[in-house]
Amino acid sequence: MLRVQDLCKTLPNGRKLLNGISFSVEKGEFVGLLGPSGAGKSLTLRCVLGLTSATSGSVDFESPDGNTHSICDLRQNQLRRVRCHIGVIFQGLNLVQQLTVLENVMIGKLGCIHPLRSWLYGFTDREAREAFEALKEVNMESFAERRAYSLSGGEMQRVAIARATFQKPSFYLADEPVSNLDPKNAKAIMKILAQLAKKTSVLGVFHQPDLIAKYCTRVIAIKGGEVVYNGDPKISPRKLADIYGDELQELEISQQNGQELKQMVPATG
Amino acid sequence: MSVLSEYSPKRYLKVSLFLTVMAIAVYFAMKACRVDLASMFESLFTNGDVYLRFIDLDWSTLWHMVKAAAVTVLLAALATPLAACLSIIVAIAGARNISKPWFRLPARISLGLERALPDTVVLFVFIAAFGLGVFPAVFALALGSLGMLGKLWADGIEEVDDKSLEAIRANGGSLWQSIRYGIIPQVMPAIISNSIFRFEVNVRAATVLGGLAGVGIGYELSRAYSLLEYGRMGMAILVIVVVVHLCERFSGFARGKLLISGGLE
Ligand SMILES: Nc1ncnc2c1ncn2[C@@H]1O[C@H](COP(=O)(O)OP(=O)(O)OP(=O)(O)O)[C@@H](O)[C@H]1O
Ligand SMILES: [Mg+2]
Repeated sequence: MLRVQDLCKTLPNGRKLLNGISFSVEKGEFVGLLGPSGAGKSLTLRCVLGLTSATSGSVDFESPDGNTHSICDLRQNQLRRVRCHIGVIFQGLNLVQQLTVLENVMIGKLGCIHPLRSWLYGFTDREAREAFEALKEVNMESFAERRAYSLSGGEMQRVAIARATFQKPSFYLADEPVSNLDPKNAKAIMKILAQLAKKTSVLGVFHQPDLIAKYCTRVIAIKGGEVVYNGDPKISPRKLADIYGDELQELEISQQNGQELKQMVPATG
Repeated sequence: MSVLSEYSPKRYLKVSLFLTVMAIAVYFAMKACRVDLASMFESLFTNGDVYLRFIDLDWSTLWHMVKAAAVTVLLAALATPLAACLSIIVAIAGARNISKPWFRLPARISLGLERALPDTVVLFVFIAAFGLGVFPAVFALALGSLGMLGKLWADGIEEVDDKSLEAIRANGGSLWQSIRYGIIPQVMPAIISNSIFRFEVNVRAATVLGGLAGVGIGYELSRAYSLLEYGRMGMAILVIVVVVHLCERFSGFARGKLLISGGLE
């Protein structure tokens, strides 16, 4: 579905942010992306979406109709059509603060709506109903009429998730979708994402190795703009300490029940 | 440390230095313009009976004055929405985050030029084109508001939260959709609030500009002045004060309502 090859991003001053990232995500996979703060995870997702242009490398996305799009070479109009098939949850959530929760969810489908229609009469009743259903799935239906700025961080996060699911994309990009949530809601969202991944694919950034181990089908670790691990979601504590660098080595790394890793990495925004 | 140094005595030294320089500047300016304070006060009080003549209002002209004031308010009521609509278009062209440089520069430059032009100059150009009457006054008022509102909103659009615009783009939204769902909802409360405020300012400006264009209460005032009919002038002034005050009250009330329902606070 998605193939990223040798993605590089160099700043004009010569600093290398991404240094040859390659990986692929197939249909039905729930891939967890992990790595220390500033490793380039969000940047990788932005390059996949075509929001940031990579210095070199390629991103190939296969849409449900079977066509393959080379995202780095697309023009703005073509990008719009490809983005219809990709649901995004941003790290900063990026809601439009002055719109209502329901409107924020419906923004997810703008790529499939002609701009003229947006200006003439906006969304249809059917779209509103579907958006409401999407809100129900994240337990936010009672907030539908509220304006986005009045929500708490976790509530906004769930709206951002609903915005992506409402779109019914064939591919999800999620940048820390559970970072603002309490453990119960985080698990609920992970379950939803795992469920979605069965029919689509999900590429998500998480700072909680325990959640990744439990729900993801594969994990990719990025450090200093390079892929340092790509494989089994149950990463050994040694490897984890390696990924996160020296600071964490002093932290006690314990393994509970021989399987579940204790949450040891503070979720940073 | 620079924060702390603001509380040092040096700060008071700076303030007193500034005040001294200002006082000296005012003194020399008055000398240069031959302002004679003594004779100014003298003429202010020796012709005291002039004020009494103003107070002797000519109530028979009340209805006439009210009708003229309504025309003045109408000038502002026509000019403000006209300016508001035009300035949104110019502002969209002039905002860095959604426009291209070859739209942005001409838009910004023309807004700047417009602001540099005094309203009365604009008015005289329009009077030359249309003759005296309502049209030149409305157009001059509208153009005067356009320069300010356009800049205000172009700046407002540039300050809109980039992240939400990016989310709209990432979801496949086009430029015009990001304007519709990202920018308009975020700048609309400010646009409406500023337009209402501008209406209030325009009512005042319409008194003067309308007067020069030969319509409204401003014209009545200047006509009464040239005929030295103090009673009429007093009446006109009274009506102006009341009407301007009412418009101010309306503007404050409407903007207060808007802030509450727009949920800014
Ligand atoms: N537009 C930009 N200009 C300059 N540097 C940038 C830009 N965008 C990102 N960076 C830098 O690229 C690096 C990677 O950023 P990125 O947002 O991908 O980190 P991340 O892995 O998502 O970290 P976190 O877990 O904190 O979200 C950071 O050092 C960041 O400062
Ligand atoms: Mg990030």
